[in-house]
Amino acid sequence: MSQPTQEEEILAQQALAEAAGAEAGSEATGGLSQGQIVRKRFFGHTGALIGLAVFAAIFLLAFTSVGAFGIPGWWKYNHTDVSPLVNDGVPTSSLWPLAWGEHPFGQDRIGRDLFAMTMRGAQQSITVMVLIGAIAGAVGAIVGGLAGYFRGWVEAILMRLTDVIIIIPVLLLAAVVGQIANRRDEGSWIASFASNNGVVILGVFLGFVLWVGLARLVRGEFLTLREREFVDAARISGASNARIIFKHILPNAVGVLIVNVTLTMSAAILLETALSYLGLGVKAPDTSLGLLVAQNQEAFATRPWLFWFPGLFIILICLSINFIGDGLRDAFDPRQKKFKAKSAVETTSHSSTTAPVADASKGS
Amino acid sequence: MRFGRTSKAVGIAAIAVMALSACAGNSGGNTPSTGAAAKTGGTATVVEVNAFNTFNPNTADGNTDINSKISYATHSGFYYIDNKLNVVHNDKFGTMEKVSDNPLTVKYTINDGVKWSDGTPVSAADLLLQWAAFSGYYDDADTKAKTGTSYFSYAGDNTGLSLTDFPEISNNNKTLTLKYSKPFADWEIVLGGPGIDVPAHVLAQKAGLKDTQALIDFFKSKPRGNSKAPLPTDPKLKAMSDMWNTGFDTKTLPADPTLFLSNGPYIVKSMNQDQSLTMVRNKDYNWGPTPNLDEITVRYIGSAPAQVQALKNGEADIIAPQASADTLDQLKALSSQGVTVDQGNQLAFDHLDLNFSGPLADQNVRTAFMKTVPRKDIVNKIIGKLDPNAKPLDSQIFVPQQAAYADSAKNNGSSAFQDVDIDGAKKLLNGATPEIRIMYNKDNPNRVDAFSLIRESATKAGFKIVDGGLGASDWGKALGKGGYDATIFGWINPGVGVSGVPQIFKTDGGNNFNQFSNTDADKLMEQLVVTTDRSKQDDLQKQIDKKIWDSSYGLPLFQSVNVDAYSDRITGVKLMPNQTGVWWNFWEWAQK
Amino acid sequence: MLTYIVRRLITAAFILLGASFLVYLLTASSGDPLAEFRASSAPNRQALMDARIDLLDLNTPPPLRYFKWLGGAAQCIVPFGNACNLGKNIAGQPITEALGFALVQTLTLVTGATILAILIGISLGIVTALRQYSALDYGVTFMAFLFFSLPIFWVAVLLKEFGAIGFNDFLRNPEIPPTVALGIGAVLGVIGAVVVGGAAKRRLIVGGSVFVAVSLILFYFSLTQWFRNPGLGPVVIAILGVGIAFGVTVLVSGLKNRKALQSSLIVVGIGVIAYFAVQPLLNDATGLMIFLLAIATILVGLAVGYFMGGYDRGQSMRAAAITAFLVGALVVMDRFMQAWPSYFNNSRVRGRPIATIGAGTPNIQGDFWIMSTDTLTHLVLPTIALILVSLASYTRFTRSSMLEIMNMDYIRTARAKGLSERSVIMGHAFRNALIPIATIVAFDIGALIGGAVITESVFSVRGMGFLFIDGLQRSDVNPVMGVFLCVAITAMVFNLVADLAYSALDPRVRIKA
Repeated sequence: MSQPTQEEEILAQQALAEAAGAEAGSEATGGLSQGQIVRKRFFGHTGALIGLAVFAAIFLLAFTSVGAFGIPGWWKYNHTDVSPLVNDGVPTSSLWPLAWGEHPFGQDRIGRDLFAMTMRGAQQSITVMVLIGAIAGAVGAIVGGLAGYFRGWVEAILMRLTDVIIIIPVLLLAAVVGQIANRRDEGSWIASFASNNGVVILGVFLGFVLWVGLARLVRGEFLTLREREFVDAARISGASNARIIFKHILPNAVGVLIVNVTLTMSAAILLETALSYLGLGVKAPDTSLGLLVAQNQEAFATRPWLFWFPGLFIILICLSINFIGDGLRDAFDPRQKKFKAKSAVETTSHSSTTAPVADASKGS
Repeated sequence: MRFGRTSKAVGIAAIAVMALSACAGNSGGNTPSTGAAAKTGGTATVVEVNAFNTFNPNTADGNTDINSKISYATHSGFYYIDNKLNVVHNDKFGTMEKVSDNPLTVKYTINDGVKWSDGTPVSAADLLLQWAAFSGYYDDADTKAKTGTSYFSYAGDNTGLSLTDFPEISNNNKTLTLKYSKPFADWEIVLGGPGIDVPAHVLAQKAGLKDTQALIDFFKSKPRGNSKAPLPTDPKLKAMSDMWNTGFDTKTLPADPTLFLSNGPYIVKSMNQDQSLTMVRNKDYNWGPTPNLDEITVRYIGSAPAQVQALKNGEADIIAPQASADTLDQLKALSSQGVTVDQGNQLAFDHLDLNFSGPLADQNVRTAFMKTVPRKDIVNKIIGKLDPNAKPLDSQIFVPQQAAYADSAKNNGSSAFQDVDIDGAKKLLNGATPEIRIMYNKDNPNRVDAFSLIRESATKAGFKIVDGGLGASDWGKALGKGGYDATIFGWINPGVGVSGVPQIFKTDGGNNFNQFSNTDADKLMEQLVVTTDRSKQDDLQKQIDKKIWDSSYGLPLFQSVNVDAYSDRITGVKLMPNQTGVWWNFWEWAQK
Repeated sequence: MLTYIVRRLITAAFILLGASFLVYLLTASSGDPLAEFRASSAPNRQALMDARIDLLDLNTPPPLRYFKWLGGAAQCIVPFGNACNLGKNIAGQPITEALGFALVQTLTLVTGATILAILIGISLGIVTALRQYSALDYGVTFMAFLFFSLPIFWVAVLLKEFGAIGFNDFLRNPEIPPTVALGIGAVLGVIGAVVVGGAAKRRLIVGGSVFVAVSLILFYFSLTQWFRNPGLGPVVIAILGVGIAFGVTVLVSGLKNRKALQSSLIVVGIGVIAYFAVQPLLNDATGLMIFLLAIATILVGLAVGYFMGGYDRGQSMRAAAITAFLVGALVVMDRFMQAWPSYFNNSRVRGRPIATIGAGTPNIQGDFWIMSTDTLTHLVLPTIALILVSLASYTRFTRSSMLEIMNMDYIRTARAKGLSERSVIMGHAFRNALIPIATIVAFDIGALIGGAVITESVFSVRGMGFLFIDGLQRSDVNPVMGVFLCVAITAMVFNLVADLAYSALDPRVRIKA
């Protein structure tokens, strides 16, 4: 209910990708495997490459600077250390002469190092993002795959479950998750785990909520693929269901899945930001990019560095993920050649598209 | 389709959600004159956070800041509270005098000429109705046994008025005399002051009584409720209390003008649901300070940055946003366009309480812990940007706005905890390294920061600090339940009145969360609540304050900062530490 | 078909039951309704807590409370029963009332923004698809993702600072320094060059002329203080009208259809004459009158097209009607501009027209134009903010959809049989690309009813989002359930509608009944 972001993006892909991904392998591109084609296309996509490079840089910076998983990093402060205010908290870094200084991004009012906080925040945001992507992708693939492959009552139950979850507002679920993540008086293992890893809990729970869009998508994909000749061939030659699913259908559906998982991930960062703004996300003194921006929004006119640096990282991560996703989409879609409107005649395109299916066709 | 039906049923024009806010808001009344020579006429737009939703701000559901403020501007009473936290009597409205100390007897007299905006005089019946509602005289409900009825849902505390007998009303219906069964310290502020805001004649009529006299007679005939022997619900009284409880709730201007009668300086002219409310001068009003402005518009804006930008854009003239260093800086940056910023302290303050159990049961450990708390550092870093002169609060009972504060702070022993004394703490600990779990509200950045600073410092003395912070909706439940050793949270000093003191510090007091118990202090507090003399009250409170500090109770940290800002169109706005906020002297506001 | 709809509705009812049960339990367990009293030092703390417990019936376990609530809510299904009872909120206000008001607030806020976002998003998507991998494509993609990545409260704060406060300050003395005028001209010129595409020479010419034109117009605006006393006047309307006539004709029928072009131009002529005729009428305008005039305008356009005829009468009628409507819009815009100075100097507005908060200036009075201007000046910022953040998905989606279609066999066939590029794109590709867009638009409407939580809070609008989040923060179940019901029902109904529309539009999709 916050911003209609992720669902749309997913839906946006649904109709198109269903047919597209399936045919990636069947295209005649001179003896290359599907993986090779995709890789080649992806590395030919400038935007995606830049996105990948930026994301890798942020990832390395965030996880090495302040350390993670108990391993100390190379930066001298961590996000909870309070040190005396230098220069009244104004960033000490400068471009000319190029200098890093004591607190390159400045300090907050009690003297915590903003660079350390931003890095910790980036770690947290990336963690949430990856968790959501992984869990939503996995659950979505399983549920969607089972529903699409077996149909019948399996599909009926799974899809009705999806329908129920899809209309529950994400904010509500996040609020409840926040409660659990911050409840530490109960002494159970989950509470004690949650108290130290609130962000992990948040990511896991959101992942278990956000799979619904992906499940619908994968189901549509499976519905199309299971009717195809190569699946029939496999079935006739006696392949088991598991083999058909994992060896024959899933590899063909993986493109759609990956593309949409990346889009879910970029939406996840924004969701985390929105939740933190509303006080439902990560709780202080731990921090996340969204929380930093939300906490410091009033500072935008007076101590802008508190606001700009974390904001910049949100935008960078989000942009790079979006571009990676965009590149993947183009790479997995066989018909999206570089084509020019005027001279598009020569382009070969194998388009025996099956219906870009709405739910209606599947008799739900 | 289904949605169509629902939306039809939902109805079209209506009311949005209202927001309940802080605690009690007993503000009201009016005043003797101030010699303001400001220009009269003009308009002002004031920003409030929550939306107005009822003309009776005394009910448990309607008791929000905004409702109380509107009521304050549209009703008069025997007194108001000024920004020095004095009770100021409004003799033009009437007199309120203590006629006897034993038994405590208070006589309220309403002046002639004081009338509601429909012309009906304000009479003792209005006061009687307020007494009936505030005292809970007729309630015979027993919450445990689920028997009896609770009639008027009054948000305030009835301990004082529950000591009174049925009041005596003079024949001319202008005087009401209250007799208390035992002395009550806060007699001055329990009745007739938070604005006399519900007209008895309207309530009588709406509840199906013949007239005001019928209402008085009815009240007289009805015996005091007894929860031990509850009577069946009285339909007449129920009708009246229902009217009182919910009959004045509205988010749009009622078609029936008797539902928003004024007896104060202003009268509500228009209401735009959840957006704004406009009041204009009450023409008849001459029983109190005369306001300068012809019209006051209240707009509801939730977030502080939005308030600042509204002020900057000329959409608002007076704002009192939740203070943060950045908001303040932004406001100060507006001084170039003529905005004036005032800052001071609120009655709310944050404090660190130590449990008298667990590792802190030993007074030496408590004292050692208190020695490590960097109070000056906390104040400087959290409040310093807002108020460079801020100092740690040095009393558990008084705030600096009160005259007795300075004296009490000097003698109560707080001087021993001015600076961090790690060595002293180590000495007291004698090599022990107790593990202290500190509970606080993780959603309150001030408390998070205070916790971070305390942890930093206490660790140096050998304490092992465990972060026991909880989310906004959990920490309150955890108060007093154990599971932590120390806690950082806030109280709101009532400013006027002493009934709250035993509530917090007496053995088994309702808010005594850390199990503090001191027999001497208990005795002093028993004495305090029956002392009607102000200076004696202060004296007792000073003694209690010292007892608390001597027991290493914990530490008050800092007062919240109070900020208001107003544009160059407006003059006369003054800070006020309690919930009435800038409204306390609205009659002095004027347009340049 | 009917069986299918009935079956869908029955399933929907069960889904709604299940989901509402879950939502109820989740909300009830999401917080502490007594939180505000926990640390209160009021002596009657317990009494206040008891009152709240009583009000919200907290002693009943949530699952049971749900069924009590359901009992009340079920009565909403009875048509004209007026027994609908969704409970009360923490302040004792019936939820049905609160919802009604919030719904109006939210719809006012988001409807315009959503429609504009869809229109702009689809146009940008088509243009970028036609110019895949051009500078324009990369530029739009980058901007779309950038805005998509911005937190909306951040956008809102910036908009208020520059769009409202800055612009209002500028209006005090609306003079544009020459350097600024040249700068704006240059930026727009570059954009123009990028948009037009093609050979370097063509780009240069277009970019240069945009630069010159914009700079001159800005100089003119500055000299005449146009922003204080804006207006178009019949001449400008005529010039713009001719431009519109050509543009519309290009899109609808192509310039080769002379009859269509002529009809459009005639309509522009009628429009300019009507400009003088309707001025007195417009002075006492009402909403209804404007609506009727719009209908009449379209009818005139259709009539002109019909009588001009030509080999394709339909195209002429369409072109003329669209032109007529747009010229009519220009006339109305001109009338708004005439009302601007009096709005600007209104004692309530005090020369700061663009508002940062709320839905209207309190106590403002005036005629239709003043009141409408007031609404518009309050809506402009939230609308821009919402458009910026929601543009990305529409743009990207339309782009992919369009690219997909452009590679279809039938497009190649269409080209092969010699159709002009215009008819291939407008007649074959565009229409089919719109079909899947119907799905996401339908999906959006559910989200739209749910309100834009953050936008509402930043702009102080108390709509559905506020109702929801406020209820959630107070653990007040009833408002949350009320909003949830509205959103869920709308979403499900529109999904059904989308599926039905889909099968109607796309013959390949069949509903199994």
